[in-house]
Amino acid sequence: MHQMSVRSIVKHFADLKVLDEFDLDVAKGEFVALLGPSGCGKSTLLRIIAGLETPDSGEIHIAGRSVTALAPEHRNIALMFQSYALLPHMSAIENVRFPLRMRGQLSRADQLRKAREAMSLVQLGHLAERYPRQLSGGQQQRVALARSIVGEPDLLLLDEPLSNLDARLREEMQIELKRLHENLGLTTIFVTHDQNEALGLANRITLMNRGSIEQQGTPEEIYRRPRTVFAADFLGGANIFELEVSESDGVWSGSFPDGSRVDLAVSSDLEPGKCQFMLRKEAVTFDPEQSMSTITGTIQTQNYLGGQTRSLIRAGGIEIIAVTDSDKTETDRIETQIGWRPDELIPLQNV
Amino acid sequence: MIASTPRLVPFATAMFLLAMGVFMLLPLLVVIASSLSSSSFLVFPPPGLSLQWYGEILGSQAYIEAGWTSLKLALATVVLALTLGTPAAIALSRFRFRGQATIAALFLSPLILPSLIFAIGLLIVFSRYATGPSFLGLVIGHTVITIPYVIRTVSANLADLDPHLDEAARIMGARWWQRYALVILPQCRTGMAAGAFFAFNISFDDAVIALFMRAPNVETLPMRIYSTLEFSPDPSVAAVSTIMILMTIVLVVMLNRIFGLSKIV
Repeated sequence: MHQMSVRSIVKHFADLKVLDEFDLDVAKGEFVALLGPSGCGKSTLLRIIAGLETPDSGEIHIAGRSVTALAPEHRNIALMFQSYALLPHMSAIENVRFPLRMRGQLSRADQLRKAREAMSLVQLGHLAERYPRQLSGGQQQRVALARSIVGEPDLLLLDEPLSNLDARLREEMQIELKRLHENLGLTTIFVTHDQNEALGLANRITLMNRGSIEQQGTPEEIYRRPRTVFAADFLGGANIFELEVSESDGVWSGSFPDGSRVDLAVSSDLEPGKCQFMLRKEAVTFDPEQSMSTITGTIQTQNYLGGQTRSLIRAGGIEIIAVTDSDKTETDRIETQIGWRPDELIPLQNV
Repeated sequence: MIASTPRLVPFATAMFLLAMGVFMLLPLLVVIASSLSSSSFLVFPPPGLSLQWYGEILGSQAYIEAGWTSLKLALATVVLALTLGTPAAIALSRFRFRGQATIAALFLSPLILPSLIFAIGLLIVFSRYATGPSFLGLVIGHTVITIPYVIRTVSANLADLDPHLDEAARIMGARWWQRYALVILPQCRTGMAAGAFFAFNISFDDAVIALFMRAPNVETLPMRIYSTLEFSPDPSVAAVSTIMILMTIVLVVMLNRIFGLSKIV
């Protein structure tokens, strides 16, 4: 049984098709990231699930009931806006109490007690009486988060949850969000254009492109085994280059523009001819083992990043970027061997 | 540092601002000084100081009654202007509809049109279709000329609002009436306060519409001042005016304390 499912959602804005027969199922307790560039339809999908936009056609089910024709106020969901949308004329605790107050099932005392519990879950119990304008951005976000979880919604939606925070707070909030999700088990869908956010938070990433799903899977699957050039490029950036693939006696190899050859891991996706490949920057090493594919290159330039160093290497007639542990990085700009595990070189469909 | 403007410019600017300040404040100072006059005639500078004219107006049946009429008129105007202007501002800012720009311009037109023209029209309508000029006629007249101020101030207030507040309240389960009562109206408070202030002052101060809609038994404070000036000019006029000036200052300070008007006006 899915906690949330959308079926064949189509949505146009004027002549522009934003969502094209979109399907998505989310199981109870999942933490799903809708990841994609701006304009890929992810925010529209979130608004459709929330009921703030009406799809041209398609079905939405939440917690076992059809909500397609149901107004947002009856869907029993929570949405944390990017701007937090805290009510400025109410104190933090009154903001958090608001969903309970609207539902009106609990006594005022119980509402306040639950609101206080939610505030302490986000470690903000001591600031309950403050007004939003008296709180920092990070604290406002925690209030918004408390307000979203207080009513135990059937579905929690987050719109770009970390984008308004500075880098340090973002890291803190990522941990916080993950911890809250693990403790409460709320089925959560969030929208983001930031791959780090998606990789760090979600159990499952739905990568979207032009109104459809490009690829779906666990963060690790998406990161390590992207199927398309778009997926490989969008997640973390990577070396993407073309090799000429050939086979002899069941051994597949690819040749670089300058003629250097490397072995390819056997994969059903391979066929002879030109093919795009992805090689993650961290998969490249200056100290290849026996079993690795190797190629000779020259270091062009390097950026010291602290624990790691980024090197631009001219090899095989193309440029390859490597990010390696600083203490294992070749620093002389001379001819050097670089290598990678054959299964790190991933063939991509070029759609 | 290298001066970017001739040294004369800052000096000239300061002088200009000073002159403007004097020009704007001088009449008020003259009135206040005259109100403290010991003379029985309205002359400046006053020959001696005395509070006798304040005693005079506080003991004057005509002034007290006129003041009372003006106060009731101004309060009625404020209530009506707010109850009509606030929903209008909300509708204009929240909904997109055909003819919206035209309607918005129409609502604000009393700001530009001379109130004299409006007063003539009002007089004709009231003489033709009602029992002639009356207190009610004044209330209606003042409401019309003050509504634009309420619409302006409330709209300015709404323009600064996070457009997601209403959606957020909806998702939290608030029905439409709850969203108006708990989310939208509370956001308009500052604009409403500023609009109420304008409406009160304009109504309390108006002489043009009051002149046209003058009914035999209705006399507002500005009308009282006007007729006193016309028939027996004495410093009591200045004393009333001084009280009105002080009242305005007190109102501004109070509203600013409570609502922070500087954000809006």
